[in-house]
Amino acid sequence: MTDALVLSRLNKTFGGKAAVADLDLTVRSGELYALLGPNGAGKTTTLRMVAGLLAPTSGSISVFGIDALRDPAAAKAITAWAPDEPMLYDRLNPMEYLEFVAGLWGVDGKTARAKAEELLKWLGLWEERAQRCEGFSRGMKQKTALAGALIHDPKLLMLDEPLTGLDAAMARQVKDVLQERVRQGGTVILTTHILEVAERMADRIGIIQGGRLLAEGNLEELRALGGRSAASLEDLFLQLTEPATV
Amino acid sequence: MFRAGSIPWLALHELRMVLREMQRDKARVFQLVMLVVFMGALLACGVGLGLVVRETGLPPIDPRVIAVTDLVVLVMFSIMVSSTLARAAQVLYLRDDLDLLFSSPIPARKILAVRFAGIAFSVTIFWLFIAFGLVIPIAVLAMPQLLAILPVLLSLGLLSSAAGLLLTTVLFRLLGPRRTRVLAQVLSALIGASVFLVSQLPRLLNNVDTDYGRWGWIRDYATGEKHLDLPPQADLLLRAALGEPIPLLIVVGVCLGAFLLVTQGLGRRFARDAAIAVGSDASKRKAGKTGAFAAGAFAATLRKELRLLFRDIALFSQVLLRVFYMLPLAFVFVRNASSGHSLLLPGGAAALALMAGQLSSSFTWITVSAEDSPDLLVASPTAMSVITRAKLWAGLLPTLALVILPIVAVGIWSPWTGAVAAVGAFCSAWASGMLNIWYQRPGRRADFRRRGNVHWLLVIPILLVGGLIAGATFLAAAQMLWAIVPAVLAAVATLALRRTDKQILERLRTPD
Repeated sequence: MTDALVLSRLNKTFGGKAAVADLDLTVRSGELYALLGPNGAGKTTTLRMVAGLLAPTSGSISVFGIDALRDPAAAKAITAWAPDEPMLYDRLNPMEYLEFVAGLWGVDGKTARAKAEELLKWLGLWEERAQRCEGFSRGMKQKTALAGALIHDPKLLMLDEPLTGLDAAMARQVKDVLQERVRQGGTVILTTHILEVAERMADRIGIIQGGRLLAEGNLEELRALGGRSAASLEDLFLQLTEPATV
Repeated sequence: MFRAGSIPWLALHELRMVLREMQRDKARVFQLVMLVVFMGALLACGVGLGLVVRETGLPPIDPRVIAVTDLVVLVMFSIMVSSTLARAAQVLYLRDDLDLLFSSPIPARKILAVRFAGIAFSVTIFWLFIAFGLVIPIAVLAMPQLLAILPVLLSLGLLSSAAGLLLTTVLFRLLGPRRTRVLAQVLSALIGASVFLVSQLPRLLNNVDTDYGRWGWIRDYATGEKHLDLPPQADLLLRAALGEPIPLLIVVGVCLGAFLLVTQGLGRRFARDAAIAVGSDASKRKAGKTGAFAAGAFAATLRKELRLLFRDIALFSQVLLRVFYMLPLAFVFVRNASSGHSLLLPGGAAALALMAGQLSSSFTWITVSAEDSPDLLVASPTAMSVITRAKLWAGLLPTLALVILPIVAVGIWSPWTGAVAAVGAFCSAWASGMLNIWYQRPGRRADFRRRGNVHWLLVIPILLVGGLIAGATFLAAAQMLWAIVPAVLAAVATLALRRTDKQILERLRTPD
């Protein structure tokens, strides 16, 4: 089966400073991959390059076999990107927002309307469908943005810190949505600071620092990497990233 | 330097925030240069006036001087109230750091007094600037007591700030949070426009065809043929501005007293209103039947932009002000066109073309450059050209809707002129829209009130191209072949200013 995402020797420099350095990373189709790293490790920069928002300095990006640098439109058509700050319009309501996003991804109007209704009901936003986003709580905004990311049924869903600022109930709902997505065969990549989330949800975890991949694997593989001193993912994470976090 | 929580300490905080806001403005170097040039010109005029006043002294205070002074103050005060009303509504709804300040143990009345004093200062600063350039040289060269103009201006600023606060609070009580926001913005625009409209009344009420009709009524008063009956104390402001101690004390005392009375009396209520205003937009809207979704990126983007445009009453009313300013001209045009004036119809067609360009420039500036989620657009597979085209049409449609009626009216009098006006208006609107696309500078919609109607770099090219198209429209409507010259020049200027998609992207990556 084709891998969902393959990054080869990916580099991005800002004013001579490397944000991502020779990053090689592979995400398999149908898995939930958690990208961990301290602040400034290059997680968001990596995802922004995959989403087509930043041009890499060098390297290649392949999304389900499509060269994202050569044919960005084709790669974008099967990808969704949800940053930590929801990309919403204050004066639109969720239905209008989903109509716009569906239009951008070329979803047929009739299909999009049905899908929007389904998503809003699934995410518990149906009753709020006529309310403008400006009055929404952080969690509701996050869920609206998530609905927008799912409206075109992407094969690859990328989320940057999707649980930041959510209360326990909302966070649980978002986690359920992501796991359901993977159960249905979708691929999810998320970045998070909450190591417990990665530990519980992710099929595989990648730890990056200084734009380089330090370790990768499932929980057992990572524990083995850390040796006896790494009892939990948190221990291993701190062990690997210690110089930067002290 | 100051005790934390004291009024000077709060004032310093306000000042710092204002300065930081100014530093964010990338156009500050250009603006600074213009300000220096303007101040130089003012000082030169001031020195000239100072030398004249030193030789001749000030003219005696007679009813005509008093009337002119009071009229100038009335115009100035109306503009100040218009600004303070808009800013009071902004304080109420945009809040900035108001939540932080209100959550501190500093009394709300103190916080609001400082904030509204800041508003008073900001609406006065333009007039202070002019007065400073003109008055300082006269004061130095001839009459030091003229410096009293500065405290009089500041006092008027305080009074207008109090009026803005009072009006906002009354509207809030009467209409509730949501309607207040809209009405305050619309009222503010109307107060500003009404000054202009009232100033044009004589032109509308008198026969414009004769020189006497236009200026005669003023001349009668100016030459003393008609006597002015002014109410008692009408000279108070003039005497205060000339530095007479008692009138000066009365003006400063009344304005300051009104300011303190309103801010201290309404401070707590305003703070409560501000708390209610938070989330007022979240008040429930009925969920009606949702219609069919737009098909395709172009239709979806067009629909989204039109929705956002019509829902931003403040920005929309700012743009519509331009139509208000054209109203007196339209009245004159309609009255004289019906009487068969030979050049008025082509003139009207040219004015319509110019207005269409201005309106389109403002609308497309909003639809193209006010984008809250640029990342969403870039992350989508839709080509940027499709999105931009939809944004252009979202700016063109309301423009065409606004000019279509006058064009039809012109067409009834003269089908040829109507057709030329339609072509001219469309070309002008299209060219302004394209210029806004080529030189777009995206930013958050919420920042747009601060950023003005259009990018400062674009003002001159838009006026140039719009002027050329208006000129071509005029000549074509008058059935003159010379119309080709400005039309070709407009086309050349537009093509010279054209940017490719690649250049636009480059520019977006390195904004000025």
